[in-house]
Amino acid sequence: MSYHFAIIGTQDNPLFEYEFGTSKQGGDGQARFSEQAHHLNQFVLHSSLDIVEEVQWTNGQLYLKVIDKFFTNYISCFITAGNVKFLLLHQPTATATAPGGGGSSTTTRSSTSVGANPTSPQTEEAIKNFFAEVYDNYVKAVMSPFYRVNMEIRSPVFRQRVAAAGRKYL
Amino acid sequence: MASSKASRLGEEVWKTRMDKVNAELVVLTYGTIVAQLCKDFDSDYVEVNKQLDKMGYNIGLRLIEDYLAKSNTVRRCSNFRETAEMIAKVGFKIFLNITPTITNWTSDGKQFSLVFDENPFADFVELPDDGRAQDELWYSNILCGVLRGALEMVQMQVEAHFVSDVLRGNDTTEMRVSLIRYIDDELPPEDD
Amino acid sequence: MVVYSFYIFDRHTECIYAKTWLPPTSSSESHAPGGPTTTLRPASADDAKLIFGTVFSLRNMVRKLGGDDDAFVSYRTAHYKLHFYETASSLRLVMLTDTATLSMRNVLHQIYINLWVEYVVKNPLSPVEHKGGVGVRNELFELGLDQFIGGLM
Repeated sequence: MSYHFAIIGTQDNPLFEYEFGTSKQGGDGQARFSEQAHHLNQFVLHSSLDIVEEVQWTNGQLYLKVIDKFFTNYISCFITAGNVKFLLLHQPTATATAPGGGGSSTTTRSSTSVGANPTSPQTEEAIKNFFAEVYDNYVKAVMSPFYRVNMEIRSPVFRQRVAAAGRKYL
Repeated sequence: MASSKASRLGEEVWKTRMDKVNAELVVLTYGTIVAQLCKDFDSDYVEVNKQLDKMGYNIGLRLIEDYLAKSNTVRRCSNFRETAEMIAKVGFKIFLNITPTITNWTSDGKQFSLVFDENPFADFVELPDDGRAQDELWYSNILCGVLRGALEMVQMQVEAHFVSDVLRGNDTTEMRVSLIRYIDDELPPEDD
Repeated sequence: MVVYSFYIFDRHTECIYAKTWLPPTSSSESHAPGGPTTTLRPASADDAKLIFGTVFSLRNMVRKLGGDDDAFVSYRTAHYKLHFYETASSLRLVMLTDTATLSMRNVLHQIYINLWVEYVVKNPLSPVEHKGGVGVRNELFELGLDQFIGGLM
């Protein structure tokens, strides 16, 4: 499973980007996107913004779950009250699902589902937790007096915390 | 013994006589001031430090009266060590609800350090990553001015400056305070 | 109990506030040459200077005799009693009352805490230094003082 996480400002401008892979089931946390995919991912995420705008008014939730799919790329969205979008592109890979069968404990099984089925409740829950933690840290980052609205988030501390949240839930 | 008395006084005044205000309001207000100063002075951090100190000085001149009134202080401190105790355990306690640690006294008893375990001004703050702020900006420099102004009103001329700050990546936040002299009473002008 | 007058001196020894509660009749007495009622004249700038000189000298003398922690509290003449209170920030409050009045130290302390600090120091538009009494004579302070003193009498 590989992830591409992006925060999009109110002017559809990117504020933050981070690529990572799963840390469950012995994953090394590295993204396994192909060379071209890096740029493709940005396009995919950008194009999904249109759908975000449609979906965001249909329910009052901040977490909009999976809103878009492009081949094997699934896009989950979380939108803040200030209309800043958190987008997570997740791409299940064959390697993530193949060795999963052996585990019998619940944690292994649920993390297996995170890898295997992008629309399963467990995946939704894991991504929700990830978003919640990132949101928490995002609020702290923008509370810094030197941060201005729609400014790129350059804080290394924030990047570390996003990475930590990724390791923890995905 | 005097030190525990000061702690008790600080605790009591903080609990019974102080109006409380939301901590985030303080953080954001102070942060806005610093950020605006940085903008106004084109990130000339030396100048920003100076302005913060000046603002603090003007606050201190007034704040001391509130301190004296709230803590019911009638008597001057008998020495600078007692002054340090009162600053840390009463002053900082009642206005910011923190108690910095007093350390590193010089042998002549005229210089000490205040080490801040927590700094309510600095929550959420990350200094600008322009490569200079980390070395030049003392984010909480207003506190130095406050001490300078407040102590001047009780006839102590002091010099205060930060020597380290966790925001800069140091292990501690430490302010150095030195007594320069006690100011004499002003005498009435000679009658013509 | 009768309060005759009240003065505030700042740390620069300047009189920044003066108020008298003298009955109007006393002004006629002031013309009595050399009479014992000289202090009951309406307050003037010279009074303030005189009073400051007196309390300042007395305070220094008291400290010399009784040590730095000793405080000069009041003195009494045949006609009035003067009460003195000094804050750690060198603000001096002086009140003149009739001779029968007990210690007014607490009253002066209350004036400092509840009126001076609240209405003068905490007024953001008032200057820090009150040269010539700027910023002291604001409505809240005057009103509060009048009510407070009125409540005592």
